[in-house]
Amino acid sequence: MQFRVDEAHEKFREEIRAFAEKEIKPYAFQWDRENKFPREMITKLGQKGWLGLPFPKEYGGAGMDIMSYAIAIEELARCDGGCGTIVSAHISLGSWPIYAFGTEEQKKKYLVPLAKGEKLAAFGLTEPNAGSDAGGTETTAVLEGDHYVLNGEKIFITNGGEADTYVIFAVTTPGIGTRGISAFIVESGWEGFTIGDHYDKLGIRSSATAQLLFEDVIVPKENLLGKEGQGFKIAMETLDGGRVGVAGQALGIAQGAYESCMAYAKDRVQFGKPIAFQEAISFKIADMATNIRAARMLVYSAAEMKDQHIPQGMEAAMAKQFASDTALHVAQEAVQIYGGNGYLKGMDVERFYRDAKITQIYEGTNEIMRVVISAHILGKPPKKETPILASSSTSNVTGPRKKIVMKKGTAQEKVDALVENLKADGYDFTVGIPADTPIGEAERVVSAGKGIGSKDNMKLIEDLAAAAGAAIGSSRPVAETLQYVPIERYVGMSGQKFRGNLYIACGISGAIQHLKGIIDASTIVAINKNANAPIFKNCDYGIVGDVNEILPLLTKALDTGKKKPAPPMKKIKRPTPKKEKPPYKIMVCDGCGYEYDPMKGDPAADIPPGTTFERLPEDWTCPDCAEPKSNFQEA
Amino acid sequence: MHIVRKVTDNLYWIGVNDHRLTLFENIHPIPEGVSYNSYVLLDKKTVMFDTVDWDSCRQMMENLEYVLDGRDLDVIVVNHWEPDHAASLQAVLSRYPNAEIISTEKGYIFMKQFGFEAEGHKLTTVKEGDTTCFGDHTVTYIEAPMVHWPEAMITLDLTNGALFSADAFGSFKALDGKMFSDEVNYDRDWIDSNRRYLANIVGKYGPHIRKLLNKALPVLDKIKFICPLHGLVWRSNIDYLLDKYTHWANYEPEVKGVMIVYASMYGNTEQAAQALAAQLSEKGVKDISVFDVSNTHVSYLISEVFRVSHVVLASCTYNLGIFPPMLDFLEDMKALNVQNRTFALIENGSWAIRSGDLMREFLDQQMKTITVLNERVTVASHAKEDQNVDFAALADSIIESMRS
Repeated sequence: MQFRVDEAHEKFREEIRAFAEKEIKPYAFQWDRENKFPREMITKLGQKGWLGLPFPKEYGGAGMDIMSYAIAIEELARCDGGCGTIVSAHISLGSWPIYAFGTEEQKKKYLVPLAKGEKLAAFGLTEPNAGSDAGGTETTAVLEGDHYVLNGEKIFITNGGEADTYVIFAVTTPGIGTRGISAFIVESGWEGFTIGDHYDKLGIRSSATAQLLFEDVIVPKENLLGKEGQGFKIAMETLDGGRVGVAGQALGIAQGAYESCMAYAKDRVQFGKPIAFQEAISFKIADMATNIRAARMLVYSAAEMKDQHIPQGMEAAMAKQFASDTALHVAQEAVQIYGGNGYLKGMDVERFYRDAKITQIYEGTNEIMRVVISAHILGKPPKKETPILASSSTSNVTGPRKKIVMKKGTAQEKVDALVENLKADGYDFTVGIPADTPIGEAERVVSAGKGIGSKDNMKLIEDLAAAAGAAIGSSRPVAETLQYVPIERYVGMSGQKFRGNLYIACGISGAIQHLKGIIDASTIVAINKNANAPIFKNCDYGIVGDVNEILPLLTKALDTGKKKPAPPMKKIKRPTPKKEKPPYKIMVCDGCGYEYDPMKGDPAADIPPGTTFERLPEDWTCPDCAEPKSNFQEA
Repeated sequence: MHIVRKVTDNLYWIGVNDHRLTLFENIHPIPEGVSYNSYVLLDKKTVMFDTVDWDSCRQMMENLEYVLDGRDLDVIVVNHWEPDHAASLQAVLSRYPNAEIISTEKGYIFMKQFGFEAEGHKLTTVKEGDTTCFGDHTVTYIEAPMVHWPEAMITLDLTNGALFSADAFGSFKALDGKMFSDEVNYDRDWIDSNRRYLANIVGKYGPHIRKLLNKALPVLDKIKFICPLHGLVWRSNIDYLLDKYTHWANYEPEVKGVMIVYASMYGNTEQAAQALAAQLSEKGVKDISVFDVSNTHVSYLISEVFRVSHVVLASCTYNLGIFPPMLDFLEDMKALNVQNRTFALIENGSWAIRSGDLMREFLDQQMKTITVLNERVTVASHAKEDQNVDFAALADSIIESMRS
């Protein structure tokens, strides 16, 4: 290696740089300000064949190498970090796993249009309880005949809502951690697959990031990617392989910020000469250039190793970590060099500064990068102290709850059952508090979520609050985005904490940040039409139904005319929740009664904890009486 | 002299009642005795179904000879090889050298292990679904592994509907002349013995009972008599019995009720248990029982746990641990697979009160699907007058958890 990129690659760089200067740079400010997805620019990129850059021509790709791919992302990000995000998520995260793990049919059906740029891809791994630790995945896929039924939610998904093809990770065998995860190809527009929140981000605002919701989505069996249980492996290899892309993006942001502030420093005159020649600034420029060069070496070296099929997991992690740290540092110094001007909207360095931060966070945080790197150097720790038990995914954000969810029966029956339970819990609806009682002091709150619909429907909430003798609250979007209620009335981790007794959540799906605001509630009631909404796993009583139908009935049931003023609040104790059966099967031997517990495995036969009974070798026999595997049944 | 009862045409009970045995399996007290049931079918062939314990052999032989009335014994079906049923087999074989034995493959392994001498006897091995015709009567065999031994099977006479159910549907308590369940006041005099037998002898094997019940369901209309190896023969109200077994096999309580078990060295923990019982009763709970773990045989405690929905454990601390008989009770509940119950705890101690935490840890970690109420009463040596509110709160929490 000559520590220099060869001529062909430099030529490619010129080509793509020219494209970015023309198609991205002039619009980047607008896209950032308006949070606008650059659909036209992406279409043009696709026409150039660059959305399939590293894939073979037979699958519609450009058949180029990883070095070219890294350079492409770098050059896009040099003009706009968000565009780098869109393309690297499309190529590395959404398309690559189909290329690497897909069947021939899957590649023809899905990879070809993706590589040709006719369609856009996304990758759905992250969930509220599964960030760096994919073992916390809660989305489930249950096999029913010739299809899987997908349920759950994904958050922070790049290209979410814009993409046509999604690689989604879901649990097919519950209770055994990462080995129970499988990957699926899911198409936009399938019934039950909807886009939830679009996130209002600090940076990379031209890229779309959204929440994905799956409610009984039918996924044909042939859309299983790889084998059942391979999902975690697919996810990790995809993230490992995609790291060069993120590293390239960070490098591009650093490069863009560096070039911009250098131009400014040469132009801006203070104390009689351009500030670039003031030592304070010239040293900054020297440091930036040094770091950028080091980052570039790391990035290109990892790309080159990948092109030569040399394992580069550690080197790619080093490149991602170092390049992203460099991006943030360079962008920060670039703003500093611009001084007050750099602090204003419209300056590219201000945007680069915000864009840079995400590169330290996503596709494996820099903390995880250090885990990866040190594991490559040091290997596995000598011995696991305790077997990893299944992630206790049954634990809720709001702590143990009764989770009595009424799904069947008429709306009236469900409401009656709810009211009966509330009265038995000791709620007296002849007394009440004013609707404007501060949330933190309220004994009862009726809260509205986005599911309430139009603003007219807030009347339903007001009526229910009056009938229940409760104050009015809301979820964050209802106060912040929709502005149905004043901002100080939204409940959540970042808003007001509810510490009273009764919380009635109407049309609230139950984002973690909201749930953290109602942990101390004695009783949580959820009313939502989506039976899979997380709020139901976090409630004491739930009614699956439309708020338009349920709220008037509940209002009527609780209405006792004018409320007497409530006595000082007496906190209602939360009852102990019923212990639930574990999510995995214990099998019992017909020959002796021995119980096979997947959480314990069978150490004497080298079966590690976490092995389901189905996955035991066919010749495995009962450790106590040698009965064959076939003579076991569910305990 | 013979003591024989007719089950139906050509089918006779030739079992024996035993009041002299103190401990069944040398572990469970049987103050009301036990019966060993053996049956004989008179067809073209003469068929005996299981034998009795050794001590009862002479009476059984007199019964057998009387029923055979001079005929030879052609076949012995051994459904279960546990010695309380198979021990007298050797005597029968010696007296009837032409008898053929019918059993499962595993049954013959046990026959050899226990040292039976069957030289010269035809040994027929049967498996699930096989049938044998004895003349007018054809029987089929249903494997019943781990109810409660691995070799066990049950035999259904397809002609008269008699189900020879081995230890399934068995019970403690001697028959003493009666034989059919409709000849006794079952709910008053028998169900407790039936439950105590089931819970302690077969309790661990709920999944296997369920498996057997599932096999029995499709042929339920064919079953006219249930003939177990201990206790009553059922010819009516079979659904009632099956319903009880479904509860027991699924570890579901029969009633919403509270059982309070206390371990008390000097009466202070006992007082706490009584205080709670009074509060519960005052607040309207109807089904409450209280036991002293030190002087109640654990088989009775296990039986009661299978009946009720709620259990309160009140234990003093002993050697920094759980009072040993209480720990025995916990171990027994674990061994017998007790689950789907709600527990509440009262702890006592005079310097380091540990029993509550330890019992909670045991219930949470060693047992399956046990809910332990968060409210707990802690007594330092002797409950104080102002602790009444604690007992009231515990009672309220128990009552609250009984809802729904």
